[in-house]
Amino acid sequence: IREARDYDHWRSCLSTNSGQIGVLPNHAPIATVIDIGILRIHLKDQWLTMALMGGFARINNNEIIVLVNDAEKDSDIDPQDAQQTLEIAKANLNKAEGKRQTIEANLALRRARTRVEAINVIS
Amino acid sequence: MSCSNLTMLVSSKPSLSDPSNLSFRSVLNPFQLPSQNPTSCTPSRSSTTQIQCGLRELRTRIDSVKNTQKITEAMKLVAAAKVRRAQEAVVNGRPFSETLVEVLYNINEQLLTEDVDIPLTKVRPVKKVALVVVTGDRGLCGGFNNAIIKKAEARIRELKELGLEFTVISVGKKGNSYFIRRPYIPVDRFLEGGTLPTAKEAQAIADDVFSLFVSEEVDKVELLYTKFVSLVKSDPVIHTLLPLSPKGEICDVNGVCVDAAEDEFFRLTTKEGKLTVERDVVRTKTADFSPILQFEQDPVQILDALLPLYLNSQVLRALQESLASELAARMSAMSNATDNAIELKKNLSIVYNRERQAKITGEILEIVAGANALQ
Repeated sequence: IREARDYDHWRSCLSTNSGQIGVLPNHAPIATVIDIGILRIHLKDQWLTMALMGGFARINNNEIIVLVNDAEKDSDIDPQDAQQTLEIAKANLNKAEGKRQTIEANLALRRARTRVEAINVIS
Repeated sequence: MSCSNLTMLVSSKPSLSDPSNLSFRSVLNPFQLPSQNPTSCTPSRSSTTQIQCGLRELRTRIDSVKNTQKITEAMKLVAAAKVRRAQEAVVNGRPFSETLVEVLYNINEQLLTEDVDIPLTKVRPVKKVALVVVTGDRGLCGGFNNAIIKKAEARIRELKELGLEFTVISVGKKGNSYFIRRPYIPVDRFLEGGTLPTAKEAQAIADDVFSLFVSEEVDKVELLYTKFVSLVKSDPVIHTLLPLSPKGEICDVNGVCVDAAEDEFFRLTTKEGKLTVERDVVRTKTADFSPILQFEQDPVQILDALLPLYLNSQVLRALQESLASELAARMSAMSNATDNAIELKKNLSIVYNRERQAKITGEILEIVAGANALQ
């Protein structure tokens, strides 16, 4: 569980599977699916970027609860390793045979791309 | 006795006035005494040097047992510390699981009137089953690994009798090496277990299981792992992992379902100076769902996203319980080994002291006999 609590100047951006949404203070209570994508939190004049690997988020009473399978901070990601993983994932997708391998390769590719995007995000 | 008789024999000789006879007896005495002592002390007839070797070997063995005892005791303490850490990992994961179950429950309420079509909850006629077998990486933990492997073998036999196909996903080195040596058991994938289960490892297993089920290669997935009951008891269990129940229940093979919200966890405490385990049901406080809560997407879509999270948390939970059981088993095994080493050391010390006393007594008898011979 990762929580961003009640601060006057906080806000965040979430990638949901129906597009990105921004959350400002006093947002209406919602529950949403989190796609494989980037979470960005603005707190005390600085942005925190994280790569999320799919999950669920709930916004309630100026509190966001994000449940994900896996999450990585941009500072924890090694740029070269992430880029290499992306190339490997692309190659695997081209070579994938059958329904199952395609599903697996697609998931791996989306995860790898998200990690690369988390590093290269422009604010 | 023989030494004592010999002494009396020698003492009777001085009454004779013939010096040549006395001299002859003196020559005989040193020769006979050494040959007597080795016979009574050890089966092999040897010189005094061999007795020294025997004692030295005993001393070496006692030192060796002492070192083994130190090692097993250290392993026992390390396992105890790791059990505590495994318990902390379970506790850290609790808020996630509870929130997940709560969300599933709330969303499920809104879907009561709708017909839900979600791939992970689809119940199909079972033709092929996947077994996820969770074992440890190392030994020296009693029958832990053997118990779960036997459970898997029994389940495989049942599936064969029912005429169902099956495949195995093996987690952990012990299981991997077992199934590698048995080519007749089809294994879909071998996965490495880590020292401490993480979401990434659970993700790897969940991904494999997910793709197997969604691509309809298998119709049911069962999870075999060792459930942690207490420090002295573990229970290999089989849980149905897929298809998932929309309400977030855990079902065993016989269809008996237990609400996953009843999340017991084990807690190590010191009770009367001993490590004990108390199982406790504690609920983390979570905010109630707001009645005006909106869903960004269709509830079915949200459920579709939540269930893989739930699948992942179930796998992670199994890995954590399995690790805790392994460490508890290792703790018990090393504790028994330490006790055995202590007892063995005691017995060897007794034998060593007895042999040492026999050797000293023999030497004293030699000196006394020699002194008497000189008179």
